[in-house]
Amino acid sequence: MTFVAIFAMAVFAGVAGSMVGVGGGIVVVPMLSLAFGAPIKVAIATSLISVIATSSAAQTVFVTKGLTNLRLGMSLEIMTTIGAIAGGVTAILVSGQVLQGVFAAVLVYVAYTMNRRGGDVPAERTGLLEASYVDPADGRLIEYGASRFKLGAFLSFFAGNISGLIGLGGGAFKVPIMNVVMGVPLKATIATSNLMIGVTAATGAVIFYGRGYVDPFYAVPAALGVLVGARMGPHLAVRLRSRTLSVILQVLLLGFAVLMAVRAVQG
Amino acid sequence: MKRVDVARHVMDPVEKVVHWVLLVGLLVSVAFMGTGIVLGFAQGTGLPDTVVAPGDLPGALADGEAAAFLTLGLLVLIVTPFLRVAGSLVAFARERDLRFVLVSAAVLALMCLSVLLGRA
Repeated sequence: MTFVAIFAMAVFAGVAGSMVGVGGGIVVVPMLSLAFGAPIKVAIATSLISVIATSSAAQTVFVTKGLTNLRLGMSLEIMTTIGAIAGGVTAILVSGQVLQGVFAAVLVYVAYTMNRRGGDVPAERTGLLEASYVDPADGRLIEYGASRFKLGAFLSFFAGNISGLIGLGGGAFKVPIMNVVMGVPLKATIATSNLMIGVTAATGAVIFYGRGYVDPFYAVPAALGVLVGARMGPHLAVRLRSRTLSVILQVLLLGFAVLMAVRAVQG
Repeated sequence: MKRVDVARHVMDPVEKVVHWVLLVGLLVSVAFMGTGIVLGFAQGTGLPDTVVAPGDLPGALADGEAAAFLTLGLLVLIVTPFLRVAGSLVAFARERDLRFVLVSAAVLALMCLSVLLGRA
């Protein structure tokens, strides 16, 4: 039964998203398009819907723990939203083949970035968009600020753009922007990125919705599946090593990349 | 001795608004989608492949059509981040943080622009 199959696929996407820190979209789009025969634009719309679900659900936890830097997130959202609008409009106009080609390239990029888990940046007070949180690992109070705001905001446009174009949350781009470029500690970065992907995805989703690409047949089981998966992730993390899942996912993403590239060329 | 949990974060007013808007939006959305799925399988129609047009929604809901509940669930899900930004705007206004009232307003205006672009 297709409903159960899509639901199960989305549960996997949700688990992967919550355990190794990639958004569900990177799994949802290729699976729907390659395994379930969904047209690429329907797959993108479905992915955006599941990204909103992931963001709303995870934020209810991140905000209570004080990990989300709301002011930083809102400031960058101006640029990611402009990017998402440009991306969404472009996606409606260009052919599915172009989107599949771009997606293949992004899959390779994400699989690559999963490899280099560098250390975290030191938390420093900068006087800009400062916030603090209690580190869940050791109970220390971390006080930090952001730096290089203009560069971060400029790059955020492109993160939003990719998101609206091919239906990802864009966390794979927002996390390095905030962490590496702006010097925000990783835990705050992940929580803030998660807040932002909800807004970016909703902006893209309304464009796809208006154009009739939101299909309940795919979107409903995908949204619910991702929610269940995201809740299961932290529990499974105790038993399954995230390194193992990370390798499985990398192989899967590279496989998707090859298939998507073939599709892009053959049409 | 009373145990003091130092690791507990106390949410500020803006965080509280964000927390509650997202939680309620998510629960309402899941409730509508769940109802739609139950109705769809009970009526033997399964899941529809198109959403119900906004104008037909009230009538279709009254008729207990699965597609109407699923559409409403998806719409609530999509609208939730809009409400989150609108809620932050109000919360920043209450804190008299003019700068972030403007930032929230800009984000909300851009999001609304995309609604228009979806139609044009």
